Amino acid sequence: MTRTSDETTPDIEVHQLSVWYGQTPALRNVNLNISAGQILAIIGPSGCGKSTFLRVLNRMIERFSDVRVEGTVRVGSFNVLDDHVDVTQLRRAVGMVFQHPNPFPMTIFDNVAYGPRIFGMRSSTQLRKTVEDSLKQAALWDEVRGKLRRGAGTLSGGQQQRLCIARALAVNPRVLLLDEPTASLDPVSAAKIEELIVQLKSQYTMVIVTHNLQQAARVSDLVAFFEQGRLIEMGNTQEMFTAPREKRTEEFLTGRFD
Amino acid sequence: MSKSDLSPKTLKPIAQGRSAHYVMAGIGVAAMLALLSVVLPLAVQGLPRLNMDFLFKPPRELGGGGIGPEILNTLIMVGLSQCISLPLAIIIAIYRVEYDHIRHLARWFDQGLQIVLSLPTMVIGLIVVDVAIVRWHWPISVESGILVLSLINWPFAVFLTVQVLQRIPDEWREASRALGASRWQTITRLILPVAWADIIELTGLTVARLMGETAALIYTAGLNVTSRFAFSAPGETVAVHLWYIRTEGLMPDADQVAAATGLVLLLLVIAVLWVSQKFAEWVKNANL
Amino acid sequence: MKIDKVMDRVTHTVFALFLVVWLSVAGIIVWGTWRFISHYGFLSPILSSRWNPLAGQFGLWPFILGSLTVTVLAVVIAFPGSLALSVLGSRILQGIWRRYFVRLLMVFVSVPSVLYGWWGLIVIVPWVRRLSGTSGYGMLSASVVLGLMILPTFSILSLEAIRQVPESYVEGSVGLGATEDQTLWRIILPAARPRLVQAALIAVARGLGETIAVQMVIGGQIGGPGLLHPAATLTTQLLTDLPFLPPGVPGHDVLDFMAFDLMVLMTIIVWLQMRIGSWRYE
Ligand SMILES: Nc1ncnc2c1ncn2[C@@H]1O[C@H](COP(=O)(O)OP(=O)(O)OP(=O)(O)O)[C@@H](O)[C@H]1O
Ligand SMILES: [Mg+2]
Repeated sequence: MTRTSDETTPDIEVHQLSVWYGQTPALRNVNLNISAGQILAIIGPSGCGKSTFLRVLNRMIERFSDVRVEGTVRVGSFNVLDDHVDVTQLRRAVGMVFQHPNPFPMTIFDNVAYGPRIFGMRSSTQLRKTVEDSLKQAALWDEVRGKLRRGAGTLSGGQQQRLCIARALAVNPRVLLLDEPTASLDPVSAAKIEELIVQLKSQYTMVIVTHNLQQAARVSDLVAFFEQGRLIEMGNTQEMFTAPREKRTEEFLTGRFD
Repeated sequence: MSKSDLSPKTLKPIAQGRSAHYVMAGIGVAAMLALLSVVLPLAVQGLPRLNMDFLFKPPRELGGGGIGPEILNTLIMVGLSQCISLPLAIIIAIYRVEYDHIRHLARWFDQGLQIVLSLPTMVIGLIVVDVAIVRWHWPISVESGILVLSLINWPFAVFLTVQVLQRIPDEWREASRALGASRWQTITRLILPVAWADIIELTGLTVARLMGETAALIYTAGLNVTSRFAFSAPGETVAVHLWYIRTEGLMPDADQVAAATGLVLLLLVIAVLWVSQKFAEWVKNANL
Repeated sequence: MKIDKVMDRVTHTVFALFLVVWLSVAGIIVWGTWRFISHYGFLSPILSSRWNPLAGQFGLWPFILGSLTVTVLAVVIAFPGSLALSVLGSRILQGIWRRYFVRLLMVFVSVPSVLYGWWGLIVIVPWVRRLSGTSGYGMLSASVVLGLMILPTFSILSLEAIRQVPESYVEGSVGLGATEDQTLWRIILPAARPRLVQAALIAVARGLGETIAVQMVIGGQIGGPGLLHPAATLTTQLLTDLPFLPPGVPGHDVLDFMAFDLMVLMTIIVWLQMRIGSWRYE
């Protein structure tokens, strides 16, 4: 299941993106590119537009009423903000994991099989294989094998979050969006998720929003710092943490932020 | 790269895979129209007859009468039975929610309440006939009607008030108790002020329900009215009158009178709902 | 505190009154039932079809069957409309439209049942008469009227059930690429199912208990098999026979027995509702 990561064509390309909720701006003139297989960590103070940015990438933003946008966003071959984009295929290609684990009220198996079934997979052997592969990829298989018929609600919070990751992986996405995936978990579960993200590196292009700066430093290749809807600075993770170019970034990273 | 430099466009959800929603919307609109088809003919047929004479004159079997006494009976019976049952219901609800005496019996209480609540009102009418009218020799009258309506309303109002009180977070109670307030100080200073608006709005529902009650009143409040109001006189209500005209009455203009009576009933109900809602809003805003 | 002392006493008194009143109501019904059963037996009146109370024949089967048939048919008739209205009000309409829609439904919930009966008399009964060539009075008309009458209640409760489904389930589903339709069928409705079933049960209870709207269009006698002949239900028969069987008349106890049957049916429904309330996915 390895993917060829073509380093030359950016997998995500955001050009002059602005977003408003009604009259309130949430993002302003954001430009950034992410190459295939890279992990971008987005950091910034609360309310700076991180989640908004993430929700633009798979067009989940359209679910809010009165959202206005400007600019272009390209993910792979999808022109995301185009009025005729195939959203189901887009969201199939761009998986999303939320801050609070949100397994469906069904069995573990049905949770993971949900996506493949939606896209027409009927054969039970195929489904079983997909579910197993996805759970293995999400490092959950060993903990749930033999319990696939149990309700997803019986799992611990961390396991539920990995289940959600497995559910997203089951439809073969190219991109994974993770919005504070460890924020609601205990440190041990959070560490497991983090480990998993590192393992999945290079197979998927990932964008992860996090409030945990150490986490960003540990997992990401690139870091983008947002403030009040603007992309203040983006760069190589190591450079960002050791020698940020912008004063605001440095203040944020060193905790001298107000 | 093509880029629209026009003013930012509104992002519209892409309509993909929604046919079932369109079908649902279609069926829903049809169902709404079916419901409207109940009230519209009422307005069309009843409106020509709706005038001052109709609203204030007594009914006449030979045609041309009004429903004045029926309206008065309805207002008095519903009003008084609310005055009796609502305070009693609020107290029971307070006992259920604010006291912990029946905590381990709460499930039983709730189930019993549900059963009582879903008893057909006709059964309550039967009981009142058995007990009040036959055993206690109450006349078929306004007062028997008030008794029936109070009994019908009591568990219903308890149920609704319990739900209102249960929505108030426990932390508030604890905070109040932690400040040294006693149980009833908490209830009168914190719980009830918060709950009033909702209780008022739901009381509108219960009033509307009582106004429409028919089956239980036929043999308790009766099918007649007298020219002068008295508690011991027969107390036909608007709803009962409508039933009577449509099933037993022999008036030559029955169709029109029935429609106009129904229209009055409907307008009363809508007025009650509207007033209770406005009043509840006003209370809510006054609280802030 | 002084107010507490006083109010404690008031509260206890009122609660005692509540218990006394409702236990007596149940007691009266049970007592009458007991007298009836000790004369005529329990099962044979339920299973017999001969109804002539003045001659001592108390076959309740037609009424029980009438109650169940009319109610079940009414719920079946109301179901598609309720589902559609609840989806419309919870997942299609937005903002102010949704608010006014719910408000309108609430008005219909409060429309007195006698008005639905009136509508049945001037619209449904003539229709059925024209289509079938019968009198038009019967279980079919009653079911349609009752179906329309419980439609608003059923819809509001279903709407509430659907609204309780966490938006995070919806986001999870849509985020995987599921369409709105797929999300509705595979996530939202299954997640709301326990509450939807509860809503249906409340609709059933309302239908079983309804008297006036049904009485106006069902015809009132036992007219023969099928949905198109005049029929009766437990509640409508209570209404029509109460004047002929006043307390003291030997047959009066059968009315208590009918009330008892209704109470048993309601108890079963309440019990089912509580069972379903504790359904949870393990
Ligand atoms: N649905 C919405 N409607 C209106 N305004 C919104 C909506 N969602 C977010 N906003 C506003 O847009 C701004 C950006 O929100 P966003 O959720 O993207 O921030 P965030 O960086 O993810 O914050 P956090 O770290 O708290 O999650 C905030 O000011 C927020 O109040
Ligand atoms: Mg966020």
